[in-house]
Amino acid sequence: MFHWLEKNPFFFAVAVFVVIAFAGLIEILPNFAQASRPVIGTKPYTTLELAGRHVYIKNSCNACHSQLIRPFKSETDRYGHYSLSGEYAYDRPFLWGSKRTGPDLMRVGNYRTTDWHENHMKDPAGVVPGSIMPAYRWMFKNTADIDTAYAEQLTVMKAFAVPYNAEIPMVDGSKATVTLADTVEGARASALEEAKVIAADMKDQDVKDAVAAGQVPEIVALIAYLNSLK
Amino acid sequence: MNKTVLAAIIVVIAMLGFTYVAVGSAGGMGGDGDWVNKLAVLGAVVLVIVTAFVVTKYVRQMQSDTASGKLADENWDGIGEYKNELPLGWAVIFLGSIIWAIWYFLAGYPVNAYSQIGEYNEEVAAHDTKFEAQYANMDDATLNAMGESVFIVQCAPCHGLQADGMGGKAADLHVRLAEQSVKHAVVNGANNNLLGTSMPMPDRNGLMNANTNALVTDAEIDAVAKYVAGGLKGTEGADVFAGTCAACHGPDGKGMEMVAPNIAEMSPAMVDMVLRHGKKGAIGAMPAFTNLTEVQYKALDAYVASLSKK
Repeated sequence: MFHWLEKNPFFFAVAVFVVIAFAGLIEILPNFAQASRPVIGTKPYTTLELAGRHVYIKNSCNACHSQLIRPFKSETDRYGHYSLSGEYAYDRPFLWGSKRTGPDLMRVGNYRTTDWHENHMKDPAGVVPGSIMPAYRWMFKNTADIDTAYAEQLTVMKAFAVPYNAEIPMVDGSKATVTLADTVEGARASALEEAKVIAADMKDQDVKDAVAAGQVPEIVALIAYLNSLK
Repeated sequence: MNKTVLAAIIVVIAMLGFTYVAVGSAGGMGGDGDWVNKLAVLGAVVLVIVTAFVVTKYVRQMQSDTASGKLADENWDGIGEYKNELPLGWAVIFLGSIIWAIWYFLAGYPVNAYSQIGEYNEEVAAHDTKFEAQYANMDDATLNAMGESVFIVQCAPCHGLQADGMGGKAADLHVRLAEQSVKHAVVNGANNNLLGTSMPMPDRNGLMNANTNALVTDAEIDAVAKYVAGGLKGTEGADVFAGTCAACHGPDGKGMEMVAPNIAEMSPAMVDMVLRHGKKGAIGAMPAFTNLTEVQYKALDAYVASLSKK
Protein backbone atom coordinates (compact mmCIF):
# COMPACT_ATOMS: atom_id res chain seq x y z
CA MET A 1 0.00 0.00 0.00
CA PHE A 2 2.61 2.53 1.09
CA HIS A 3 5.01 1.40 -1.64
CA TRP A 4 2.24 1.96 -4.12
CA LEU A 5 1.50 5.44 -2.70
CA GLU A 6 5.18 6.36 -2.79
CA LYS A 7 5.29 5.59 -6.46
CA ASN A 8 2.16 7.68 -7.26
CA PRO A 9 2.74 11.28 -6.11
CA PHE A 10 -0.81 12.40 -6.94
CA PHE A 11 -2.48 9.71 -4.84
CA PHE A 12 0.12 10.27 -2.14
CA ALA A 13 -0.96 13.94 -2.01
CA VAL A 14 -4.61 12.86 -1.82
CA ALA A 15 -3.80 10.47 1.02
CA VAL A 16 -1.90 13.18 2.93
CA PHE A 17 -4.85 15.52 2.52
CA VAL A 18 -7.29 12.91 3.81
CA VAL A 19 -5.14 12.12 6.87
CA ILE A 20 -4.74 15.79 7.80
CA ALA A 21 -8.37 16.63 7.03
CA PHE A 22 -9.54 13.76 9.24
CA ALA A 23 -7.92 15.33 12.29
CA GLY A 24 -9.57 18.63 11.39
CA LEU A 25 -12.96 17.02 10.87
CA ILE A 26 -13.10 15.23 14.22
CA GLU A 27 -11.98 18.39 16.01
CA ILE A 28 -14.09 20.95 14.18
CA LEU A 29 -17.32 19.23 13.11
CA PRO A 30 -18.68 18.15 16.54
CA ASN A 31 -18.17 21.64 18.03
CA PHE A 32 -19.59 23.21 14.93
CA ALA A 33 -22.68 21.01 15.00
CA GLN A 34 -23.20 21.75 18.69
CA ALA A 35 -22.88 25.52 18.24
CA SER A 36 -25.26 25.55 15.28
CA ARG A 37 -28.16 24.09 17.25
CA PRO A 38 -30.90 26.67 17.77
CA VAL A 39 -30.44 28.52 21.06
CA ILE A 40 -33.32 28.59 23.51
CA GLY A 41 -35.79 31.23 22.38
CA THR A 42 -34.99 31.00 18.67
CA LYS A 43 -38.18 30.35 16.71
CA PRO A 44 -38.73 29.60 13.04
CA TYR A 45 -40.28 32.42 11.01
CA THR A 46 -44.03 32.71 10.57
CA THR A 47 -45.42 32.97 7.05
CA LEU A 48 -45.67 36.76 7.14
CA GLU A 49 -42.21 37.17 8.68
CA LEU A 50 -40.71 34.92 6.03
CA ALA A 51 -42.45 36.91 3.29
CA GLY A 52 -40.92 40.03 4.88
CA ARG A 53 -37.54 38.34 4.86
CA HIS A 54 -37.95 37.81 1.12
CA VAL A 55 -38.71 41.54 0.76
CA TYR A 56 -35.54 42.26 2.78
CA ILE A 57 -33.48 40.06 0.45
CA LYS A 58 -35.19 41.34 -2.71
CA ASN A 59 -34.30 44.93 -1.87
CA SER A 60 -30.73 44.00 -0.87
CA CYS A 61 -31.07 45.38 2.64
CA ASN A 62 -28.17 43.10 3.55
CA ALA A 63 -25.88 45.11 1.25
CA CYS A 64 -25.90 47.96 3.78
CA HIS A 65 -27.13 46.36 7.00
CA SER A 66 -25.39 43.52 8.80
CA GLN A 67 -27.10 41.06 11.11
CA LEU A 68 -24.15 40.08 13.23
CA ILE A 69 -23.21 41.69 16.54
CA ARG A 70 -19.59 41.04 17.41
CA PRO A 71 -18.51 40.52 21.02
CA PHE A 72 -17.09 44.01 21.56
CA LYS A 73 -18.27 46.34 24.31
CA SER A 74 -18.96 49.15 21.84
CA GLU A 75 -21.23 46.90 19.76
CA THR A 76 -23.12 45.23 22.58
CA ASP A 77 -23.77 48.67 24.12
CA ARG A 78 -25.39 49.82 20.94
CA TYR A 79 -27.06 46.71 19.52
CA GLY A 80 -27.55 44.32 22.44
CA HIS A 81 -26.16 40.86 23.22
CA TYR A 82 -23.54 39.56 20.79
CA SER A 83 -24.80 37.08 18.20
CA LEU A 84 -24.63 33.31 18.74
CA SER A 85 -24.37 30.82 15.87
CA GLY A 86 -27.50 29.02 17.03
CA GLU A 87 -29.57 32.14 16.54
CA TYR A 88 -29.18 31.71 12.78
CA ALA A 89 -30.45 28.11 12.85
CA TYR A 90 -33.57 28.97 10.84
CA ASP A 91 -31.95 31.55 8.55
CA ARG A 92 -31.71 30.21 5.01
CA PRO A 93 -29.59 31.89 3.82
CA PHE A 94 -28.11 33.77 6.79
CA LEU A 95 -27.98 37.54 6.27
CA TRP A 96 -24.82 38.42 8.19
CA GLY A 97 -23.84 40.99 5.59
CA SER A 98 -20.28 42.18 5.25
CA LYS A 99 -20.59 45.96 5.37
CA ARG A 100 -22.31 48.38 7.67
CA THR A 101 -23.31 51.40 5.68
CA GLY A 102 -26.33 51.46 7.97
CA PRO A 103 -26.55 50.08 11.52
CA ASP A 104 -26.73 46.40 12.43
CA LEU A 105 -30.27 44.97 12.47
CA MET A 106 -29.71 41.72 14.39
CA ARG A 107 -31.94 42.85 17.29
CA VAL A 108 -33.75 45.83 15.79
CA GLY A 109 -37.07 44.41 17.03
CA ASN A 110 -35.99 45.22 20.58
CA TYR A 111 -35.68 48.97 20.14
CA ARG A 112 -37.72 50.05 17.11
CA THR A 113 -41.47 49.86 16.62
CA THR A 114 -43.94 49.42 13.77
CA ASP A 115 -44.77 53.12 13.50
CA TRP A 116 -41.06 54.06 13.53
CA HIS A 117 -40.36 51.67 10.66
CA GLU A 118 -43.31 53.08 8.74
CA ASN A 119 -42.05 56.66 9.05
CA HIS A 120 -38.50 55.59 8.35
CA MET A 121 -39.16 53.50 5.23
CA LYS A 122 -41.20 56.35 3.75
CA ASP A 123 -38.66 59.08 4.45
CA PRO A 124 -35.49 57.99 6.27
CA ALA A 125 -34.01 61.49 6.48
CA GLY A 126 -37.21 62.75 8.09
CA VAL A 127 -36.58 60.48 11.08
CA VAL A 128 -32.80 60.30 11.12
CA PRO A 129 -31.38 63.68 10.05
CA GLY A 130 -28.58 63.25 7.52
CA SER A 131 -29.45 59.64 6.75
CA ILE A 132 -28.31 58.50 3.30
CA MET A 133 -30.73 55.58 3.18
CA PRO A 134 -33.10 55.83 0.22
CA ALA A 135 -36.89 55.80 0.71
CA TYR A 136 -38.69 52.56 -0.13
CA ARG A 137 -42.12 53.92 -1.05
CA TRP A 138 -42.98 51.13 -3.47
CA MET A 139 -43.13 48.70 -0.55
CA PHE A 140 -46.34 50.47 0.50
CA LYS A 141 -47.91 49.58 -2.86
CA ASN A 142 -46.46 46.21 -3.87
CA THR A 143 -48.08 43.08 -2.53
CA ALA A 144 -45.99 40.59 -0.59
CA ASP A 145 -45.59 37.07 -1.95
CA ILE A 146 -47.21 34.94 0.73
CA ASP A 147 -47.41 31.80 -1.44
CA THR A 148 -43.64 31.62 -1.93
CA ALA A 149 -43.06 32.11 1.78
CA TYR A 150 -45.45 29.25 2.52
CA ALA A 151 -43.70 27.06 -0.05
CA GLU A 152 -40.37 27.76 1.66
CA GLN A 153 -41.85 26.94 5.06
CA LEU A 154 -43.13 23.59 3.79
CA THR A 155 -39.79 22.85 2.16
CA VAL A 156 -37.64 23.60 5.21
CA MET A 157 -40.03 21.69 7.45
CA LYS A 158 -39.77 18.57 5.28
CA ALA A 159 -36.14 18.85 4.19
CA PHE A 160 -34.50 20.22 7.35
CA ALA A 161 -37.05 19.26 10.04
CA VAL A 162 -37.63 22.88 11.05
CA PRO A 163 -39.99 22.59 14.03
CA TYR A 164 -43.23 24.13 12.82
CA ASN A 165 -46.31 23.03 14.79
CA ALA A 166 -43.98 21.83 17.56
CA GLU A 167 -43.23 23.16 21.02
CA ILE A 168 -40.14 25.36 21.21
CA PRO A 169 -38.55 26.24 24.56
CA MET A 170 -38.38 29.95 25.33
CA VAL A 171 -36.00 31.85 27.59
CA ASP A 172 -38.55 32.32 30.37
CA GLY A 173 -39.23 28.58 30.54
CA SER A 174 -42.49 28.67 28.62
CA LYS A 175 -43.15 26.90 25.34
CA ALA A 176 -44.02 28.61 22.11
CA THR A 177 -45.48 27.07 18.97
CA VAL A 178 -45.17 28.48 15.47
CA THR A 179 -48.11 27.08 13.55
CA LEU A 180 -47.93 26.24 9.88
CA ALA A 181 -51.17 25.95 7.98
CA ASP A 182 -52.09 22.73 6.15
CA THR A 183 -53.06 24.50 2.96
CA VAL A 184 -51.91 27.58 1.12
CA GLU A 185 -55.34 29.16 1.75
CA GLY A 186 -54.80 28.64 5.47
CA ALA A 187 -51.33 30.20 5.22
CA ARG A 188 -52.75 33.24 3.44
CA ALA A 189 -55.41 33.60 6.13
CA SER A 190 -52.93 33.37 9.01
CA ALA A 191 -50.56 35.82 7.30
CA LEU A 192 -53.48 38.23 6.93
CA GLU A 193 -54.30 37.89 10.64
CA GLU A 194 -50.70 38.83 11.49
CA ALA A 195 -50.81 41.66 8.97
CA LYS A 196 -53.90 43.12 10.63
CA VAL A 197 -52.05 43.46 13.93
CA ILE A 198 -49.19 45.31 12.23
CA ALA A 199 -51.49 47.49 10.11
CA ALA A 200 -53.42 48.56 13.22
CA ASP A 201 -50.24 50.31 14.42
CA MET A 202 -49.65 51.99 11.05
CA LYS A 203 -50.93 55.30 9.76
CA ASP A 204 -50.79 54.91 5.96
CA GLN A 205 -54.41 54.75 4.80
CA ASP A 206 -53.58 52.84 1.59
CA VAL A 207 -51.89 50.12 3.63
CA LYS A 208 -54.81 49.91 6.04
CA ASP A 209 -57.27 49.71 3.14
CA ALA A 210 -55.23 47.02 1.41
CA VAL A 211 -55.06 44.87 4.54
CA ALA A 212 -58.77 45.37 5.15
CA ALA A 213 -59.36 44.16 1.57
CA GLY A 214 -57.31 41.02 2.21
CA GLN A 215 -54.03 42.13 0.60
CA VAL A 216 -50.67 42.18 2.38
CA PRO A 217 -48.44 45.06 1.23
CA GLU A 218 -44.69 44.38 1.27
CA ILE A 219 -44.10 46.97 3.97
CA VAL A 220 -46.34 45.08 6.41
CA ALA A 221 -44.44 41.84 5.80
CA LEU A 222 -41.10 43.64 6.14
CA ILE A 223 -42.10 45.27 9.42
CA ALA A 224 -43.30 41.90 10.73
CA TYR A 225 -39.87 40.50 9.88
CA LEU A 226 -37.97 43.42 11.43
CA ASN A 227 -40.08 43.21 14.60
CA SER A 228 -39.23 39.51 14.86
CA LEU A 229 -35.47 40.26 14.96
CA LYS A 230 -34.76 40.10 18.67
CA MET B 1 43.11 36.87 -6.24
CA ASN B 2 40.46 34.21 -5.73
CA LYS B 3 37.47 34.58 -8.09
CA THR B 4 34.97 34.32 -5.24
CA VAL B 5 36.59 37.12 -3.26
CA LEU B 6 36.67 39.26 -6.36
CA ALA B 7 32.96 38.65 -6.99
CA ALA B 8 32.18 39.52 -3.35
CA ILE B 9 34.10 42.80 -3.60
CA ILE B 10 32.23 43.72 -6.81
CA VAL B 11 28.86 42.90 -5.19
CA VAL B 12 29.72 44.94 -2.08
CA ILE B 13 30.74 47.95 -4.17
CA ALA B 14 27.61 47.63 -6.30
CA MET B 15 25.31 47.40 -3.27
CA LEU B 16 26.99 50.28 -1.46
CA GLY B 17 26.65 52.32 -4.64
CA PHE B 18 22.98 51.40 -4.83
CA THR B 19 22.54 52.40 -1.19
CA TYR B 20 24.16 55.75 -1.90
CA VAL B 21 21.94 56.37 -4.91
CA ALA B 22 18.85 55.39 -2.90
CA VAL B 23 19.41 57.41 0.27
CA GLY B 24 22.50 59.53 -0.23
CA SER B 25 20.59 62.35 -1.88
CA ALA B 26 18.18 62.49 1.09
CA GLY B 27 21.09 63.67 3.23
CA GLY B 28 21.72 60.31 4.86
CA MET B 29 25.41 60.28 3.95
CA GLY B 30 26.01 63.99 4.23
CA GLY B 31 26.33 66.17 7.30
CA ASP B 32 22.84 67.59 7.18
CA GLY B 33 20.95 64.29 7.63
CA ASP B 34 19.54 63.49 11.07
CA TRP B 35 21.07 60.71 13.16
CA VAL B 36 18.27 58.21 12.44
CA ASN B 37 19.12 58.31 8.73
CA LYS B 38 22.82 57.97 9.48
CA LEU B 39 22.17 55.00 11.73
CA ALA B 40 20.05 53.33 9.05
CA VAL B 41 22.70 53.86 6.41
CA LEU B 42 25.38 52.59 8.75
CA GLY B 43 23.24 49.50 9.39
CA ALA B 44 22.84 48.93 5.64
CA VAL B 45 26.57 49.17 5.06
CA VAL B 46 27.32 46.76 7.90
CA LEU B 47 24.71 44.32 6.64
CA VAL B 48 26.11 44.37 3.12
CA ILE B 49 29.68 43.79 4.27
CA VAL B 50 28.82 41.07 6.80
CA THR B 51 26.61 39.27 4.30
CA ALA B 52 29.32 39.34 1.65
CA PHE B 53 31.93 38.12 4.16
CA VAL B 54 29.78 35.22 5.44
CA VAL B 55 28.64 34.14 1.98
CA THR B 56 32.22 34.24 0.70
CA LYS B 57 33.45 32.17 3.64
CA TYR B 58 30.89 29.40 3.11
CA VAL B 59 31.15 29.38 -0.67
CA ARG B 60 34.92 28.89 -0.34
CA GLN B 61 34.37 26.21 2.30
CA MET B 62 32.00 24.35 -0.05
CA GLN B 63 34.59 24.59 -2.81
CA SER B 64 37.48 23.19 -0.76
CA ASP B 65 35.96 21.15 2.09
CA THR B 66 36.08 17.37 2.12
CA ALA B 67 33.97 15.10 4.28
CA SER B 68 35.70 13.39 7.18
CA GLY B 69 34.82 11.04 9.98
CA LYS B 70 33.67 7.45 10.36
CA LEU B 71 30.83 6.28 8.05
CA ALA B 72 27.82 4.58 9.60
CA ASP B 73 27.20 0.97 8.61
CA GLU B 74 23.84 1.63 6.99
CA ASN B 75 23.55 3.32 3.66
CA TRP B 76 20.54 4.23 1.58
CA ASP B 77 20.88 3.71 -2.17
CA GLY B 78 24.57 4.42 -1.77
CA ILE B 79 24.07 7.56 0.32
CA GLY B 80 25.79 7.18 3.68
CA GLU B 81 25.97 9.10 6.95
CA TYR B 82 28.96 10.08 9.07
CA LYS B 83 28.89 9.22 12.73
CA ASN B 84 30.00 12.69 13.82
CA GLU B 85 29.12 14.05 17.26
CA LEU B 86 26.30 16.62 17.34
CA PRO B 87 27.62 20.14 17.90
CA LEU B 88 27.08 20.81 21.61
CA GLY B 89 25.43 24.19 21.19
CA TRP B 90 23.00 22.82 18.63
CA ALA B 91 22.04 19.88 20.84
CA VAL B 92 21.48 22.12 23.86
CA ILE B 93 19.26 24.48 21.88
CA PHE B 94 17.31 21.52 20.40
CA LEU B 95 16.58 19.95 23.78
CA GLY B 96 15.90 23.35 25.31
CA SER B 97 13.30 24.08 22.63
CA ILE B 98 11.49 20.82 23.39
CA ILE B 99 11.36 21.60 27.10
CA TRP B 100 10.30 25.17 26.39
CA ALA B 101 7.55 23.97 24.00
CA ILE B 102 6.11 21.66 26.66
CA TRP B 103 6.12 24.50 29.18
CA TYR B 104 4.61 26.90 26.64
CA PHE B 105 1.69 24.68 25.67
CA LEU B 106 0.88 23.51 29.19
CA ALA B 107 1.66 26.51 31.40
CA GLY B 108 2.98 29.54 29.56
CA TYR B 109 0.20 30.00 27.04
CA PRO B 110 -2.11 26.99 27.16
CA VAL B 111 -3.78 26.41 23.81
CA ASN B 112 -7.25 26.50 25.37
CA ALA B 113 -6.61 29.60 27.50
CA TYR B 114 -7.93 32.10 25.00
CA SER B 115 -11.54 32.60 24.05
CA GLN B 116 -13.07 35.51 22.23
CA ILE B 117 -15.97 35.66 24.67
CA GLY B 118 -13.54 35.56 27.59
CA GLU B 119 -11.74 38.56 26.17
CA TYR B 120 -15.08 40.30 25.72
CA ASN B 121 -16.08 39.58 29.33
CA GLU B 122 -12.78 40.95 30.58
CA GLU B 123 -13.21 44.04 28.44
CA VAL B 124 -16.72 44.64 29.80
CA ALA B 125 -15.66 44.03 33.41
CA ALA B 126 -12.74 46.43 33.08
CA HIS B 127 -14.97 49.06 31.48
CA ASP B 128 -17.69 48.68 34.12
CA THR B 129 -15.20 49.04 36.97
CA LYS B 130 -13.76 52.17 35.41
CA PHE B 131 -17.22 53.56 34.66
CA GLU B 132 -18.45 53.02 38.21
CA ALA B 133 -15.35 54.57 39.74
CA GLN B 134 -15.49 57.56 37.43
CA TYR B 135 -19.17 58.30 37.90
CA ALA B 136 -19.67 57.25 41.52
CA ASN B 137 -20.27 60.83 42.65
CA MET B 138 -21.46 62.95 39.78
CA ASP B 139 -22.22 66.62 39.99
CA ASP B 140 -25.35 67.92 38.27
CA ALA B 141 -23.51 69.15 35.20
CA THR B 142 -21.93 65.73 34.55
CA LEU B 143 -25.25 64.00 35.19
CA ASN B 144 -26.95 66.31 32.71
CA ALA B 145 -24.21 65.83 30.11
CA MET B 146 -24.45 62.05 30.45
CA GLY B 147 -28.25 62.22 30.22
CA GLU B 148 -28.00 64.27 27.06
CA SER B 149 -25.49 61.94 25.41
CA VAL B 150 -27.56 58.85 26.24
CA PHE B 151 -30.63 60.69 24.94
CA ILE B 152 -28.94 61.41 21.61
CA VAL B 153 -28.03 57.75 21.13
CA GLN B 154 -31.09 55.97 22.52
CA CYS B 155 -34.01 58.41 22.33
CA ALA B 156 -33.30 60.81 19.48
CA PRO B 157 -34.04 58.27 16.69
CA CYS B 158 -37.73 58.53 17.62
CA HIS B 159 -38.14 61.67 19.75
CA GLY B 160 -35.78 63.74 17.61
CA LEU B 161 -32.62 65.61 18.51
CA GLN B 162 -34.77 68.47 19.82
CA ALA B 163 -36.91 66.00 21.83
CA ASP B 164 -39.96 67.48 20.12
CA GLY B 165 -41.25 64.18 18.73
CA MET B 166 -40.45 65.21 15.15
CA GLY B 167 -43.87 66.53 14.19
CA GLY B 168 -46.00 63.98 16.02
CA LYS B 169 -43.94 60.85 15.22
CA ALA B 170 -43.30 60.40 18.94
CA ALA B 171 -44.17 62.18 22.17
CA ASP B 172 -42.98 65.79 22.57
CA LEU B 173 -40.91 65.55 25.75
CA HIS B 174 -41.09 69.26 26.48
CA VAL B 175 -44.64 68.86 27.72
CA ARG B 176 -46.00 66.31 30.17
CA LEU B 177 -48.94 65.31 27.99
CA ALA B 178 -50.13 66.28 24.52
CA GLU B 179 -53.80 66.97 23.95
CA GLN B 180 -54.29 63.79 21.93
CA SER B 181 -52.63 61.73 24.68
CA VAL B 182 -55.03 63.08 27.32
CA LYS B 183 -57.96 62.37 25.01
CA HIS B 184 -56.64 58.88 24.28
CA ALA B 185 -56.39 58.10 28.00
CA VAL B 186 -59.79 59.52 28.87
CA VAL B 187 -61.56 57.79 25.99
CA ASN B 188 -59.78 54.42 26.18
CA GLY B 189 -58.75 54.29 29.83
CA ALA B 190 -55.27 53.26 30.85
CA ASN B 191 -53.66 50.40 32.65
CA ASN B 192 -51.67 51.38 35.70
CA ASN B 193 -49.05 48.67 35.32
CA LEU B 194 -46.31 51.26 35.38
CA LEU B 195 -47.45 52.33 38.83
CA GLY B 196 -47.21 48.78 40.06
CA THR B 197 -50.95 48.32 40.46
CA SER B 198 -53.34 46.34 38.29
CA MET B 199 -56.23 48.70 39.08
CA PRO B 200 -56.73 50.44 35.71
CA MET B 201 -57.97 53.92 34.92
CA PRO B 202 -61.50 53.43 33.53
CA ASP B 203 -62.41 54.45 29.99
CA ARG B 204 -64.99 57.15 29.30
CA ASN B 205 -67.82 54.82 30.25
CA GLY B 206 -66.54 54.83 33.80
CA LEU B 207 -65.59 58.47 34.26
CA MET B 208 -68.24 60.51 36.07
CA ASN B 209 -68.11 64.26 36.25
CA ALA B 210 -69.04 65.09 39.87
CA ASN B 211 -70.21 68.55 38.86
CA THR B 212 -72.86 67.30 36.46
CA ASN B 213 -73.27 63.85 37.96
CA ALA B 214 -73.14 62.31 34.50
CA LEU B 215 -70.57 60.59 32.29
CA VAL B 216 -68.04 62.94 30.66
CA THR B 217 -69.21 64.33 27.34
CA ASP B 218 -67.21 64.93 24.14
CA ALA B 219 -67.13 68.68 24.82
CA GLU B 220 -65.87 68.10 28.34
CA ILE B 221 -63.16 65.73 27.10
CA ASP B 222 -61.97 68.33 24.60
CA ALA B 223 -61.93 71.01 27.27
CA VAL B 224 -60.09 68.95 29.86
CA ALA B 225 -57.60 67.71 27.26
CA LYS B 226 -56.70 71.31 26.42
CA TYR B 227 -56.51 72.16 30.12
CA VAL B 228 -54.17 69.26 31.03
CA ALA B 229 -52.03 69.65 27.91
CA GLY B 230 -51.71 73.35 28.74
CA GLY B 231 -50.16 72.51 32.10
CA LEU B 232 -53.30 72.92 34.26
CA LYS B 233 -53.44 76.64 33.63
CA GLY B 234 -56.42 78.84 32.81
CA THR B 235 -60.07 78.33 33.65
CA GLU B 236 -61.49 76.49 30.66
CA GLY B 237 -61.69 72.81 31.54
CA ALA B 238 -60.67 73.44 35.14
CA ASP B 239 -64.13 72.53 36.43
CA VAL B 240 -64.12 69.25 34.49
CA PHE B 241 -60.69 68.46 35.88
CA ALA B 242 -61.83 69.20 39.41
CA GLY B 243 -64.99 67.15 38.98
CA THR B 244 -63.52 64.15 37.14
CA CYS B 245 -59.75 63.84 37.28
CA ALA B 246 -58.86 65.38 40.63
CA ALA B 247 -60.39 62.48 42.54
CA CYS B 248 -57.40 60.29 41.63
CA HIS B 249 -54.78 62.64 40.18
CA GLY B 250 -55.21 65.20 43.00
CA PRO B 251 -56.40 68.79 42.73
CA ASP B 252 -52.92 69.88 41.60
CA GLY B 253 -52.58 66.94 39.17
CA LYS B 254 -49.53 65.60 40.95
CA GLY B 255 -51.01 62.14 41.36
CA MET B 256 -51.10 59.69 44.24
CA GLU B 257 -48.75 56.88 45.11
CA MET B 258 -50.04 53.55 43.70
CA VAL B 259 -53.25 55.20 42.48
CA ALA B 260 -52.62 57.68 39.71
CA PRO B 261 -49.54 59.14 38.03
CA ASN B 262 -48.40 62.74 38.15
CA ILE B 263 -49.96 64.46 35.12
CA ALA B 264 -48.90 67.97 36.02
CA GLU B 265 -45.21 67.62 35.26
CA MET B 266 -42.52 65.15 34.21
CA SER B 267 -40.96 63.39 37.16
CA PRO B 268 -37.75 61.33 37.01
CA ALA B 269 -39.60 58.38 38.58
CA MET B 270 -42.22 58.40 35.83
CA VAL B 271 -39.57 58.65 33.10
CA ASP B 272 -37.71 55.76 34.71
CA MET B 273 -40.83 53.58 34.69
CA VAL B 274 -41.51 54.23 31.01
CA LEU B 275 -37.86 53.61 30.09
CA ARG B 276 -37.74 50.25 31.84
CA HIS B 277 -41.14 48.96 30.77
CA GLY B 278 -41.99 50.78 27.55
CA LYS B 279 -45.53 51.95 26.86
CA LYS B 280 -48.26 52.12 24.27
CA GLY B 281 -50.14 55.37 23.94
CA ALA B 282 -51.98 57.60 21.53
CA ILE B 283 -49.12 57.80 19.02
CA GLY B 284 -47.78 54.27 19.09
CA ALA B 285 -45.70 51.86 21.09
CA MET B 286 -42.40 52.64 22.79
CA PRO B 287 -40.11 49.69 23.46
CA ALA B 288 -38.55 49.07 26.85
CA PHE B 289 -34.89 50.06 27.15
CA THR B 290 -33.13 47.38 29.14
CA ASN B 291 -29.58 47.87 27.97
CA LEU B 292 -28.63 50.84 30.18
CA THR B 293 -26.66 50.87 33.42
CA GLU B 294 -28.23 52.20 36.64
CA VAL B 295 -26.15 55.37 36.39
CA GLN B 296 -27.32 55.91 32.83
CA TYR B 297 -30.96 55.42 33.87
CA LYS B 298 -30.51 58.02 36.59
CA ALA B 299 -28.90 60.48 34.21
CA LEU B 300 -31.50 59.96 31.50
CA ASP B 301 -34.41 60.21 33.96
CA ALA B 302 -33.12 63.54 35.25
CA TYR B 303 -32.36 64.85 31.78
CA VAL B 304 -35.76 63.99 30.26
CA ALA B 305 -37.61 65.30 33.32
CA SER B 306 -35.65 68.55 33.07
CA LEU B 307 -36.62 69.10 29.40
CA SER B 308 -40.15 70.21 30.27
CA LYS B 309 -38.86 72.76 32.77
CA LYS B 310 -36.71 74.66 30.30
